[in-house]
Amino acid sequence: MEKDGRPNWDSPMQFVLACVSYAVGLGNVWRFPYLCQLHGGGGFLIPYLIMLLLEGLPLFYMELAIGQKMRLGSIGAWTSISPYLGGLGLASVVTSVYLCLYYNVINAWSFWYLFHSFQSVLPWAVCPINSNRTGPTEECEVATPTQYFFYRETLNISSSIEENGGIHTGQALCLVLAWAITYLFIVRGVKSTGKVVYFTATFPYLVLFIYLIRGVTLHGAINGLKYMFTPKMAELANPRAWINAATQIFFSLGLGFGSLIAFASYNQHNNNFQNQAIVVSLINSGTSIFASIVTFAIYGFKATLNYENCLDRMRLLLLNTFDLAEDAISMDSVLEWTEKLNTTYPEQFAQIADKVREGECNLEKELDTAVEGTGLAFIVYSEAIKNMPLPQLWSVLYFFMLLLLGMGSMLGNVTAIITPLRDFKIMSRMSNELFSGLVCVFCLLLGLGFTTTSGNYWFTIFNDYAATFSLLFIVLIEVIAVSYIYGIKRFEKDIEDMLGHRPNWYWKIMWAVTSPLLLIGLFIFYIINYIQGGTPTYQAWNKELGESAVTEYPVFGQVFIVLLLVSSVSCVPLTALYAFCRKRKDRAYEKRPSAVSTVSV
Amino acid sequence: MLEKILLLLSLSLSVAEGLCKPGVGEAYKVRFSIKTALGDQAYPWNKNEMFLFRAALAFAMRDFTNGEEFGVSDIHPCNETQRVSFWFVVTRPKTMDLVDKGTVEMAIKKSRNRINGAFLLTDKTLEFDGIYPTLAAPVSPDTPPWLIVFGVVMGAVSVGIIALLVYPLVQRKLKKNMDADDEDSDEETGVKTAENGANDGIYNSTFSDDERFTQM
Repeated sequence: MEKDGRPNWDSPMQFVLACVSYAVGLGNVWRFPYLCQLHGGGGFLIPYLIMLLLEGLPLFYMELAIGQKMRLGSIGAWTSISPYLGGLGLASVVTSVYLCLYYNVINAWSFWYLFHSFQSVLPWAVCPINSNRTGPTEECEVATPTQYFFYRETLNISSSIEENGGIHTGQALCLVLAWAITYLFIVRGVKSTGKVVYFTATFPYLVLFIYLIRGVTLHGAINGLKYMFTPKMAELANPRAWINAATQIFFSLGLGFGSLIAFASYNQHNNNFQNQAIVVSLINSGTSIFASIVTFAIYGFKATLNYENCLDRMRLLLLNTFDLAEDAISMDSVLEWTEKLNTTYPEQFAQIADKVREGECNLEKELDTAVEGTGLAFIVYSEAIKNMPLPQLWSVLYFFMLLLLGMGSMLGNVTAIITPLRDFKIMSRMSNELFSGLVCVFCLLLGLGFTTTSGNYWFTIFNDYAATFSLLFIVLIEVIAVSYIYGIKRFEKDIEDMLGHRPNWYWKIMWAVTSPLLLIGLFIFYIINYIQGGTPTYQAWNKELGESAVTEYPVFGQVFIVLLLVSSVSCVPLTALYAFCRKRKDRAYEKRPSAVSTVSV
Repeated sequence: MLEKILLLLSLSLSVAEGLCKPGVGEAYKVRFSIKTALGDQAYPWNKNEMFLFRAALAFAMRDFTNGEEFGVSDIHPCNETQRVSFWFVVTRPKTMDLVDKGTVEMAIKKSRNRINGAFLLTDKTLEFDGIYPTLAAPVSPDTPPWLIVFGVVMGAVSVGIIALLVYPLVQRKLKKNMDADDEDSDEETGVKTAENGANDGIYNSTFSDDERFTQM
């Protein structure tokens, strides 16, 4: 125990694993492979690694330094740097609250899928039969069984954000379980979190490794891997690739939420966080690359399977229309037979010409369908899993890994809320357990809104807007505050105090010049994108067509988006204003003998 | 190719050629996918198999009409192809009146499994064009299996939470009992948990780090 009685990590290893567990999350698995595919495969690694050096590492280092030095959560730490900047910490807490609300819903879905994997036939492998028992349900027939399971049975999604229905009880139960487990992990503060991260940080790698072996031995995996690793260098000229690389590094490391500050605040004063920062950032990026190898192997398998099924369908169509012997056409000769039959029996072929055109089989097209986010994790992956031998085992492993990744990140998210709030005197009178419990129950009750029938659309709003813009703003102000308001010289001295040596010129240049410039660039780009993009849209599930359609948000949706953005960003100027007014008030009472203690939070 | 089809046509019963017209009236098309179903163990299609088919269909008609004595000669196939697909019509026993499509369909539906079994095929590999198989009713257990797994995990988590919450209380109680026995209880109770100590004490500014706070 330190002199101020703050709890500590049992060992520096726990701190490193906590950071790894927090940073390595679902985004590594479902966002990075998508970006890789979008921006020319292997070539994307170049802007990615450059951005890691230019902004990822320095900002990560900076947050750890602040947390370890100030030994307070984000609100207290920023107030210590400058009383006008307490709003930064508050903005971080607000953003963390938004994140907690919707992030655990993903864990709830993972639980739902995990529990449904304990069946002899995976429920997303086959369509349920309709009431006449003549065939599959309509919606399942136009879509695929995996899509049907996700949109209808998991979410019971309505057709637009305006239509609402009741709460999906299964989802609600899974959400309760997700929050119960989160509470279990954080109830004892860093003492319990520190033990849990040994497991949540390491086990996903085991699963990823098992999946790597399974993935590359699947039939057709090589197609996916070839597709990914053929670098298309032309993409490097596209500014979007660089911007996406910058934003991906930024969000992947979890900067700006206050979690890193919170974790570091439980460190020993002389903990060598410089090496730890480098290690964690490299592990995070390495995991992204590792995960995309696995993802592309699986993509390749799925695309090849779909392609071969398509060829088989074509083959059957030709056999049945022209009444040829069963072994006349093999899978390889489908295309040449199509040509032959077209020329020899043109009228008969014309009857099925439409079907042939519609069902044209193209491996490239199958590989090109780039998916990210929940669509990748819950639809594409589960479709690939159902075709593997012994699918129940792979399904359980996969969703368990998703759960660990998600829970590990949740630990950081909830700690980012609890640590700064506990630093306030009023809150610390309540016991640790009660306070954590209240936060969890609060987030649970609000999160139940995401389990309603239109819940997924609200989830998308939060996912796209709650943490993106505000984080850029927060971290931009953070780096400017540290470099120019607090001063690089003072910061250097603090680091020397903790580590025993000053940071070298690389770090200083990054903090003072490169990172702020990059962040300002990203910030401006986001604003331009938002304005140019017109009305924000979302993907609404159309159950008659069995696909998603792009729909505009209604007015209340757009207002809500603006509210989300404004509520976190405005904390900074409002708190600065509040501090300014208080300072003026206190200056008026300066003549009084009583001690002024405005900063002791 | 075309010659082979003509040859097969000529092999079919000449009597029924008039009745059995593909695509017209009461005729049904049936398609066998023997190689797909049985792979290496596929049997070749020949006249004996065709006889078996006619016998199976006659059985289906007898079973459905409950006794009308359909025979093998009442099933008339035509237009046999290499695919192993052909059309057929059913006539009433002892007359040449065609049985309507509806009756034939219901008879086949009733005995579908038996017909499939006779050929070691399934609904997918022995297709009757236009007759959709009645799919098996889904097996729905009383308690959905996912709920069972959920219950187990939820129970374990609840036990864990309760244990973590109750354990320190129990420890404190035991400690208090131990202190009551010892003589130096005063010194022990002075050491409270860190939070109380940090908040209730008076902050001694002599040892404070001035640079900790920004100058206002």
